[in-house]
Amino acid sequence: MRARPQRTATGIAPRKRPAPQLVSRNAPRTEQRALPFLEPRELWIGAHLPQLALEALVEAHSAPEPHVPQRLAVAELQGSSQCVVAANDQAARAGVRAGMSLAAALALAPELVVLTRDPHREQALLERLARSALDFTPRVSLAQPDGLLLEIKGSLQLFGGATKLGAAFLKKCRTAGVHPKLALAPTPLAALAGARYTAWTAPRAGEAGLVRGGSRFKVTDESRLVGALAPLPLAVMRWPPQVLERLAKIGVRTIAEALRLPRAGFARRFGTETLTSLDRLTGRAPDLRRSFQAPERFRMRRGCTYDLEHHEAILEALAPLLESMEKFLEARQRGITDLECRLWHRHASPTRCVLRLAAPAAGGEQLQTLLGERLAAIALPEPVRSFELRSGRLVPRILRAESLWQAGEHGGGGASSQSVDLIEMLRARLGNDAVYGLAIHETHRPEAASRRVEAATAKPDVVRSTAAGWPAFRRPLWLLREPEPLTESNGMPQRRGPLRLIGEPERIETGWWEKEGSIARDYYQALDMRGVRLWVYRERSKPHRWFMQGVFG
Amino acid sequence: MDAYHHTDAWHSMGMAVATAAQSPDDPRLARLLEHPALWRGRSATRSSAVPTKFAALDAALPGGGWPQVGLVEILISRLGAGELYLILPALASLTQRLEARWCAWIAPPPEPFTERDHARCPLEPFAPALAAHGLNLARVLIARADPPLWAFEQALRSGACDAAVAWMQRVPVRALRRLQLAAERGRTLAFVFRGLSTRAVSEPSAAVLRITVQPVREGARIDILKSRGSPRAAICLSLHEEPDAATADGAAGRVADRVADRVADRVAAPE
Repeated sequence: MRARPQRTATGIAPRKRPAPQLVSRNAPRTEQRALPFLEPRELWIGAHLPQLALEALVEAHSAPEPHVPQRLAVAELQGSSQCVVAANDQAARAGVRAGMSLAAALALAPELVVLTRDPHREQALLERLARSALDFTPRVSLAQPDGLLLEIKGSLQLFGGATKLGAAFLKKCRTAGVHPKLALAPTPLAALAGARYTAWTAPRAGEAGLVRGGSRFKVTDESRLVGALAPLPLAVMRWPPQVLERLAKIGVRTIAEALRLPRAGFARRFGTETLTSLDRLTGRAPDLRRSFQAPERFRMRRGCTYDLEHHEAILEALAPLLESMEKFLEARQRGITDLECRLWHRHASPTRCVLRLAAPAAGGEQLQTLLGERLAAIALPEPVRSFELRSGRLVPRILRAESLWQAGEHGGGGASSQSVDLIEMLRARLGNDAVYGLAIHETHRPEAASRRVEAATAKPDVVRSTAAGWPAFRRPLWLLREPEPLTESNGMPQRRGPLRLIGEPERIETGWWEKEGSIARDYYQALDMRGVRLWVYRERSKPHRWFMQGVFG
Repeated sequence: MDAYHHTDAWHSMGMAVATAAQSPDDPRLARLLEHPALWRGRSATRSSAVPTKFAALDAALPGGGWPQVGLVEILISRLGAGELYLILPALASLTQRLEARWCAWIAPPPEPFTERDHARCPLEPFAPALAAHGLNLARVLIARADPPLWAFEQALRSGACDAAVAWMQRVPVRALRRLQLAAERGRTLAFVFRGLSTRAVSEPSAAVLRITVQPVREGARIDILKSRGSPRAAICLSLHEEPDAATADGAAGRVADRVADRVADRVAAPE
């Protein structure tokens, strides 16, 4: 344990025993009182992102026309009603606030553009920020759901003080389209609480002047921490609402008031977790944070001393890179699904060759074969001078045991690695869109009933025979992408000669509630002059034209 | 093997066949037929088969169905001659197995065959109809390839497919040989649809089975041009109904036999 000034149970340090003053260039020298300056062990920047819900969605939403001022709000279903979670400045000027119901917000601003909250994108944005924060310090941790913590004690010297570092971080955030509120404190929880408080008191569009201009929370002296925290409202602690409510009932609204309560009674009434978080806030209890680890990627570049012109030569030169990537992946027990190979030329812009795999792969030889297929389809503008291999995200590899039987023997080898290899092989040559699976979509409209899906993800489902309620032979095996108009003579359809209608007609109509692609057709089976069975229909609406839509196999 | 014994076996077999030709259940004949030195045309196709689910066709094909491994060449006069209904029951039974591999459709229908406008408006397999015929869609893989030969060979060779179907207008003879070898290597049943022409019929082929499909008034007529161990035959099938209702009765069979003779006369025998 480190020696520290004695404290009472309430956490207020006695004004005795002046310790030897530690000199720091960041020490606030302006208000030196009897309190000794205590060099903190850690110094945390807390970043609070009050508009994260909006910022995560806006970058995608307003991309086409970024200059058009729009009133934007993000809504989320809370309980039984839609609530506004965040609103941009334009909307705030109209009076839209986070926490109000969507109906109220729309009443205030009828032209409000409402987006649905997307926690996954918020998380992704937070992780992206954390990655850029790693430029400043190796100790970055996420404070879910809308905070970020940076331990900067070790980086102060390099960046010239906490203020400059904070400004640099803020600038980086702004380029990413995020506007966080920062606070500096010796404990992570205090930094977060300070940042939330700063966000709270910051002047908002539309209400400037009502609240005093944004306060700043910056504590570099551990002995002043409690004093700085004292006036903060308890809401910054984000305790459960019922705890805050009970505290408010006994007149405890700020952190100072909570610290003044007897510890034993506080723990008994409001739970030990609440007391622990209070201890962590003031640095009395250790607060261990999980460090953020940036996702690993493989990237390696290699130059040649001579020009490479042939695909075989390029592939051969790529082999060592692929081998080292295999070792890299092997050591981590990971695989990749995306691989990019960039080929640099002397003058022309680099050629990119992107490989997307159906299943995680790590084998160098397999990747080399696939890259070879893909490279063969690419025309190189110039000889290659150097090349680079970049992997996508590392994903866990699914290792499977080999089947005892060979594929096709005794029903062995169902969804083995071969089936994935085949898809990748075909994709490498034919392109990603050319290889697909089929799925049924439940609808009456024939043109929408069959869908292309990712072949590798197709799950073995229950075989549904005539589940649609019609006999198997009532529908054609082939469907034209676009119905083909047929000529007509004497009211009968023609297609290189008269068509003979056979069987009973079948009427397919969509409901009046389906506005998109509504159809009303009478379908017939028709035999053409050569005995080929076609699926034709006549529109029920005028001018009653005939179309061919399918061919029975 | 003992030479005397050998000739004796042949001798007695000849007698037995002469006397018991009408009753194949005769125990003496059955015992003779078990003799290892005895070679019969039909026994060449010892390998297992996938039933076509058409009784008349099953009876005409060696082993009682499509071969489980190998290339089946189907010559069609035009797209929509009923060729897909012919193989669909077999594909359905293959995809419904527990450990089914892919059923690959390579370049469905890529080339116009005889109808030019199909190429103008590409056709898509209609998933609900395929499912209604019992195909397990989770095992269906579609690859659009032009030309389809490479993709087809990859699918056959990989061993990842139980069945592969490809549509090609023209296939070089050497390519057929390659496809047959690839199908054997991957233990795959391969169907290749190609255009029917006099030249295509007279070409030699490495396929295990070779048939033509032509639309007739009710259904389709199937001529078996080449098969391992079965004579040429012609069958009329009604393809647009439930398979059980296929016309396997005498009248249709007799008509088909006459038709088969005519076809046999007209077509120069490749083998």
